[in-house]
Amino acid sequence: MKKTRFRKFLEDFYLVLTLLFLYAPIVVMMVLSFNGSKSRSQWGGFTFEWYRHMFESASIVEALYNTLLIAFLSALIATVLGTAAALGIGSMKKVTKSVYMGVNNIPMLNSDIVTGISLMLMFIAFGVSLGFKTILLAHISFNVPYVLLSVMPKLKQTSRSTYEAALDLGAEPVTAFFKVVFPDIMPGVLSGFLMAFTMSLDDFIITHFTRGAGINTLSTLIYSEVRRGIRPTMYALSTVIFVTVLTLLLIANFSPAKHPSRSDGGAGAALTRKAPGGNSFQRFVLIAAAFLVVAGVSGVTWQHLTASASDELYVYNWGEYIDESVIDRFTEETGIQVTYDLFETNEEMYPVIEAGAVRYDVVCPSDYMIQRMAENELLAEINFDNVPNIANIGPEYMEWSRAFDPDNLYSVPYTWGTVGIIYNTKRIEELGVPAPTKWADLWDERYAGEILMQDSVRDAFTVALKRLGYSLNSTDPAELREAADLLLAQKPLVQAYVVDQVRDKMLNGEAAVGVIYSGELLYLREEAEALGLDYELEYVVPEEGTNIWIDSWVIPYNARNKENAEKWINFLCRPDIAKKNFEYITYATPNFAARWILDEDQRRDPDVFPDLTQMTNSEVYRYLGTEAEDRYNELWKEIKAQ
Amino acid sequence: MSLPLIELKNIEKSYDGNLILDDLNLSVKENSFVTLLGPSGCGKTTTLRIIGGFETPDKGSVLFNGQDITSMPANRRPLNTVFQKYALFTHMSIAENIAFGLRIRKKPQSYIDDKIRYALKLVNLEGFENRSVDSLSGGQQQRIAIARAIVNEPKLLLLDEPLGALDLKLRQDMQYELIRLKNELGITFIYVTHDQEEALTMSDTIVVMNKGYIQQMGTPEQIYNEPENAFVADFIGESNIVDGIMLRDELVEIFGAKFVCVDKGFGVNKPVDVVIRPEDIDLVKPEDGTLCGVVTHLIFKGVHYEMEVTTPDGFEWLVHSTDMFPVGQKVGIHVDPFDIQIMNKPESEDEEAAGVNE
Repeated sequence: MKKTRFRKFLEDFYLVLTLLFLYAPIVVMMVLSFNGSKSRSQWGGFTFEWYRHMFESASIVEALYNTLLIAFLSALIATVLGTAAALGIGSMKKVTKSVYMGVNNIPMLNSDIVTGISLMLMFIAFGVSLGFKTILLAHISFNVPYVLLSVMPKLKQTSRSTYEAALDLGAEPVTAFFKVVFPDIMPGVLSGFLMAFTMSLDDFIITHFTRGAGINTLSTLIYSEVRRGIRPTMYALSTVIFVTVLTLLLIANFSPAKHPSRSDGGAGAALTRKAPGGNSFQRFVLIAAAFLVVAGVSGVTWQHLTASASDELYVYNWGEYIDESVIDRFTEETGIQVTYDLFETNEEMYPVIEAGAVRYDVVCPSDYMIQRMAENELLAEINFDNVPNIANIGPEYMEWSRAFDPDNLYSVPYTWGTVGIIYNTKRIEELGVPAPTKWADLWDERYAGEILMQDSVRDAFTVALKRLGYSLNSTDPAELREAADLLLAQKPLVQAYVVDQVRDKMLNGEAAVGVIYSGELLYLREEAEALGLDYELEYVVPEEGTNIWIDSWVIPYNARNKENAEKWINFLCRPDIAKKNFEYITYATPNFAARWILDEDQRRDPDVFPDLTQMTNSEVYRYLGTEAEDRYNELWKEIKAQ
Repeated sequence: MSLPLIELKNIEKSYDGNLILDDLNLSVKENSFVTLLGPSGCGKTTTLRIIGGFETPDKGSVLFNGQDITSMPANRRPLNTVFQKYALFTHMSIAENIAFGLRIRKKPQSYIDDKIRYALKLVNLEGFENRSVDSLSGGQQQRIAIARAIVNEPKLLLLDEPLGALDLKLRQDMQYELIRLKNELGITFIYVTHDQEEALTMSDTIVVMNKGYIQQMGTPEQIYNEPENAFVADFIGESNIVDGIMLRDELVEIFGAKFVCVDKGFGVNKPVDVVIRPEDIDLVKPEDGTLCGVVTHLIFKGVHYEMEVTTPDGFEWLVHSTDMFPVGQKVGIHVDPFDIQIMNKPESEDEEAAGVNE
């Protein structure tokens, strides 16, 4: 008796544990979506702010619309194609049937990345410009196998004689199919549709490769924010998606089932077992479907109608790297329709421009990447006659730009910043260590377990190379070896190698010092104030010198609307616009006219706007070539592996 | 003489190079109950499906009331089918199932309602209109399938092993039910089965088929009593089929013993197949029998005893008798002349399949 009770307890415990593992992450995300603070571990009070922000953001609403439209259309078309295919394959002979089903299974087992790349190559090879329709086609193609797999078992259950019986009773073949066969396979068709819908909703990789300029789905949009850290708005969005999918599943599983006695095998069994057969449910689905189709078609037509060739501009920028109202204002003032697209890393942007599959008119890469693009003749010279506002850019930034654009031919600086050390004043006091002033302090053993390093090759090596007094663009194997050894020696002291978690960890007081981009400072200060921390976070640019990074606007060699691109750059150089963007992005602006109209204490903030003329030992990243890159990566791997 | 209702002429059909039907000819008179009987794979279902319009013959033609309907699609044919597994529409109520054909023909609702009531009464399932298909037993489903077919007032009803899925008792009940229905409705039935007892019970005419050929066509009595070849004899009921030599008209030699029979015209000293039904063998005292043997097996079957009598040549005779002879007893075998059925021996396998009557 006692034993069974204990056993029961263990069973329940195991179940709860399993559920916890499965759902805890989602619960955390949902809770954070209501967090008043942007921090991931501090509760800043309950708020609907992020939900409000989500629905106010044009890019999110548009991505949501694209996602739903693509999911719906691709699922619908795939359902029609897949069902037709199932009927065809179902009446084949056994051997042919298994061959076809095998062929059907291959795309499902194939890795998404292969499917995505091959679809992209095919579209480019056949001259189909990447965009909404290519995503749709790609989604249809990967959805069909799922529909087929879900309809086949239902079809197998359905006896052919009911179809013949209907013919026998005088029905024409089409009538017989829709009145007799279709209702029988309906649960399979419906679950196939739902499965296709969710697969499409879910997809990132294939969408990523087949999308073109100006098209984002939720997954690609969320991913594009990785560089700057994912905003809580995205938690809100993910929560909404999760709840939607959950509701769909609940409807599908609990709606009145007409054939509860029938079980069924094969894929989609969980969905089809309690098949939605209720009339009201079917009606609901039909109405929802009709609504979405109408909305979709009108939306697409609108998009096509409003986009005409001469007054358009294709912009390719980092995620979260512009105040969206600025884009609207540009269109208002110039009449130019902006197709705005996001990338996550320089390395991701480069092949897109190089392949020329999507022709962007204006792009915002970082320093060393601009050099690489210029060296590979991917950039067009800017006609500065069309960019009179270049006068607003501080001459020192143009001077620094020469590191990667020697003759100032190709680029106009947009944002810039430094890499430095952030420290927790209270914490270092407790440790009894003086405030850090130089990179070498990061080797101070009193900081053991309190150091956060950047998890990126160049940034990590910058710390060591600069400490050694070498150039951060060094390609000398001996110098690099030395730097690597130094990093290895530091490793035991390091708490973690992280990217954007530095700010969260610092806000939580988890570490004393961290390597951070100066662009994060304004945000950190705001948050620290909002949370009412009992300690201060200070920033210092190390004495040995650091990396100065500059993100600049460039025009690709194959831009179709070069003059519009120049208008765009000129517009962004306007003081009021640059100020707006600075306030949104919080990364330092090179626009001195804009800086002049900022608040007094922001304008004079030495951390955000350090005096570049004093930073003679600092450097801009240069493109080092593949050989040197490989060497860096080799050494970095060695450091990370130990 | 009136035209046959349905006529198959020189029908040939093969699947994947396997000949299923070879030059099949069949004609069915109006108002008859014809059963296509044979083992599985004999082509009986294919024949029915060709009549129903679900298969197209490779060669030959199908005539309905003298009109060629070979290429007419199934849904235009003036006949209905009752399928082996009922093929009811599970997502519809019983009434909707029955009304299906009538709705396709756009009959008025009042007519449809009357027909549903009438059909349900006919199959003894009054009040079942709103039941779901899943709630019915196999027998009830079969009746609905029949009701669904007959409300369309077809001239011809095709039934493809309709009782195959039912248990024995239900099957026997349904056999009587079908006969009653046929008589009440006055329509022609073409019935497919592999159950010889069912065929013998219900049909006016039995068509025994094997390997795509018609072996024999006749009344149940003819088929049972005068099988025209060893296949029919073997397939219909139990038989003793032995080699014999027709010495002359009305005298056949079996295992060296001479039996008087009633068959003529086989020639002199001609090897033949001899068919003797187990119940036609009289076991007598050894000295009174034409042949002598020993009882080697005995089983009580209820109505009769089933025995095996082994004669010196090693042949085991199957004997049905109400008299019991214990195992080991010597007995004599006697057969009345009219109980002996003489058949020509097939000269080749093809001929065996084709039958001797062609």
